[in-house]
Amino acid sequence: MKRLLLTGASAAAVIFGGAAFVSAQDLAFPIGEGAFSWESLEAFTAAHTDLAGQTLTIWSPWNNEGDAAQWESVWRYFEQATGIDVQSGSSPNYEEQARIDIAAGSPPNILILPQPGLLADFAAQGALTPLGPETAQWIEDNYAAGASWAALGQFAGPDGTVQQYGLPYKQEVKSLVWYSPDNFAEMGYEVPTTMEELYALQDQIVADGGTPWCIGIESGGATGWPATDWIEDLMLRNYPPEVYDQWVTNEIPFNDPRVVDVIDQFGAIVKNDQMVAGGTAAVAGTAFGDSPLGLFTVPPQCYLHRQASFIASFFPEGTVAGEDYDFFYLPPFESKDLGNPVLGSGNIVTIARDSPAARAFVEFLETPIAHEIWMAAPNSAFLSAHMGANPEVYSSQALRDQGQILLNATTFRFDGSDLMPGPIGAGAFWTGMVDFVNGASAQQVADQIQAAWDALR
Amino acid sequence: MLQQGLYAALTIVLGVGVFLAYFWGANWILDRALASNARMPHALAQRRDNLRSRIRPWLFLAPALIFLLVYLVYPVFETFRLSLYDRLGQDFVGPDNYTWAIHDATFWQAALNNLGWLVIVPALSTIFGLLIAVLADRVWWGGLGKTLVFTPMAISFVGAAVIWRFVYAYRGPDMPQIGILNAFVTWLGYPPQPWMQLTYVNSLLLMVILIWIQTGFAMVILSAALRGIPGETIEAARIDGASEVQIFFTIMIPQIAGTILVVWTTITIIVLKVFDIVYAMTNGENDTQVLANLMYRWTFISGDTGRGSAIAIVLMLAVLPVMIWNIRRFRAAEGTH
Repeated sequence: MKRLLLTGASAAAVIFGGAAFVSAQDLAFPIGEGAFSWESLEAFTAAHTDLAGQTLTIWSPWNNEGDAAQWESVWRYFEQATGIDVQSGSSPNYEEQARIDIAAGSPPNILILPQPGLLADFAAQGALTPLGPETAQWIEDNYAAGASWAALGQFAGPDGTVQQYGLPYKQEVKSLVWYSPDNFAEMGYEVPTTMEELYALQDQIVADGGTPWCIGIESGGATGWPATDWIEDLMLRNYPPEVYDQWVTNEIPFNDPRVVDVIDQFGAIVKNDQMVAGGTAAVAGTAFGDSPLGLFTVPPQCYLHRQASFIASFFPEGTVAGEDYDFFYLPPFESKDLGNPVLGSGNIVTIARDSPAARAFVEFLETPIAHEIWMAAPNSAFLSAHMGANPEVYSSQALRDQGQILLNATTFRFDGSDLMPGPIGAGAFWTGMVDFVNGASAQQVADQIQAAWDALR
Repeated sequence: MLQQGLYAALTIVLGVGVFLAYFWGANWILDRALASNARMPHALAQRRDNLRSRIRPWLFLAPALIFLLVYLVYPVFETFRLSLYDRLGQDFVGPDNYTWAIHDATFWQAALNNLGWLVIVPALSTIFGLLIAVLADRVWWGGLGKTLVFTPMAISFVGAAVIWRFVYAYRGPDMPQIGILNAFVTWLGYPPQPWMQLTYVNSLLLMVILIWIQTGFAMVILSAALRGIPGETIEAARIDGASEVQIFFTIMIPQIAGTILVVWTTITIIVLKVFDIVYAMTNGENDTQVLANLMYRWTFISGDTGRGSAIAIVLMLAVLPVMIWNIRRFRAAEGTH
């Protein structure tokens, strides 16, 4: 009976779905025009002629309207090239949904998540299909700093062998500070090139009666994560990357004096009412997406906002990169001599249910065109480490510059909280940061997170 | 949007249609298969009649029983099984998950918060519901007032949480306050407060949301019970010179005590399961954690079905006595025990 009901509903889904499929055939950029690598699409089309009519399901983290539309503009080309019917979905709680779908035995063909730690968990459960050594080789050969990107998609399977399970796609640079060039010009401020200069600048802003930073760490079920990025960025600027790696894997405890010291450095900013717009009390309750809006008010509520490249899609409509807002690289300490560390993140494409269409899709994402379409999308925050993709197609100079930061990094490290085990990186670390901002001491918070880590198994 | 609307409409039509077809069809088949008529030997017809009337209730109960088994009974046993296994549900670990819970500070904090909800929300909802039910009948706009109080019942918990986010919203002291509560506080000349970050106060403010929703429920049920009080008893009390307050406490309350208890326990069960409001408002941060949200967090965010299930079982054991008692009361009221 229930079965009958489901059959009826899916019959209807086919009818309605088909209608939707026919109506959205138009592509974002006409094939053959512009600086795109159309030849890579042609080659891909020629190599995949026997898949028409198959269905491919995708679960992605891109749930806000802009990202979802830009992502769709990419896979439309895949549909066009192969005749495969793509059904891509997402939700604000996409990690939880991915876990539920896998536990329920109904995973999507392609699963894309920005948390390597979570994917490692799935791989260990045997929920993911290895992509094979040739994919590993391809990433090493074609991505800037290829070996480190390939490593992000390598997990231990159910039997313990480490294999390539994921293809990194859509990178983000996190070590960015956003500001308004007009406000800087008006006050005579200059873009700092060292951490010492940045600290001098924030004191100067306070002395001038302004507020240096806008910080908001509210993010629904993930409240606290923007603060974890601060800690990670400061870790990379205070200690060598090896220490960062040990911290992320708990080889050094979370309450190591070095980590506590870094949390306190963040505290010197976030726990000083003069340093943060709205004062410290506003930090934990302000949505991270709303927090940069203080840059655009008159008079400005703040002059600086540290956030990843994707934040541009939260800026007020009509603001133009390079005019209304700009960014600089969160600089290193001159005194520490640690090079130019860059904190970043990215999404990992995996196969959760194998099919020829899924294999074809991974191959599609290896073509330069699959990167260029999103790079060129207006208002996108898409960066690519794919060396074959043409940087000319980036929709703005700002993106091109961010892409350059990605390619020039002397040290690149992935977002630490995404590498830590779920209950820490997506739990105790977030909660700890909220507690810290609301008054707990760095030592208390670090002890509390380490205790949670000790309780893991 | 249109597509979703069509799906919903289709599901309703199919769902209702299939069930109607089942009940009608099963009934029809039963009547045909075990038909009896005057031409049959009397004993056979009698036997068939008896058999039919014994099978019929089961035919009608079957769908509900199957759904109960699949969606309620089976999950209980599966949850219990998982609570004895490791995080992926693969290796047997015995009572490890329960010993972990006993030693986990967050678990106790959540349990204590649940206890706070348990004491405060059912009591205030019932008291407010009763007061409104009694007093609304005495003013000409009582009907309108009751409608307004009842309206929140129609709002989902998450919807209510979204509404109350605006009530409790906080901006820095030098910015315009968009939250009603802070607008009021600043109007009185006090500095705005980040309500959701003030320990204890935040939990109380979350409880206010549930009270806001449940008062309507309590009011409607109690209002009906009050109507059922025989007018003579009140009249007799009045003639004997009892004051309104005396009538309320000594005449009305004892006569609807059974209904008050049912309302109270029903809200208690809702409160023990509270999840949506906490999830949508604070996600358990700033010491507002409750057991249901903690269970969700361990199961779906941390991916540890063992610990999540153990919390679920503890929660179920806590609800069980209230529920059994509630069902007993209900049966006593119906006179079918």
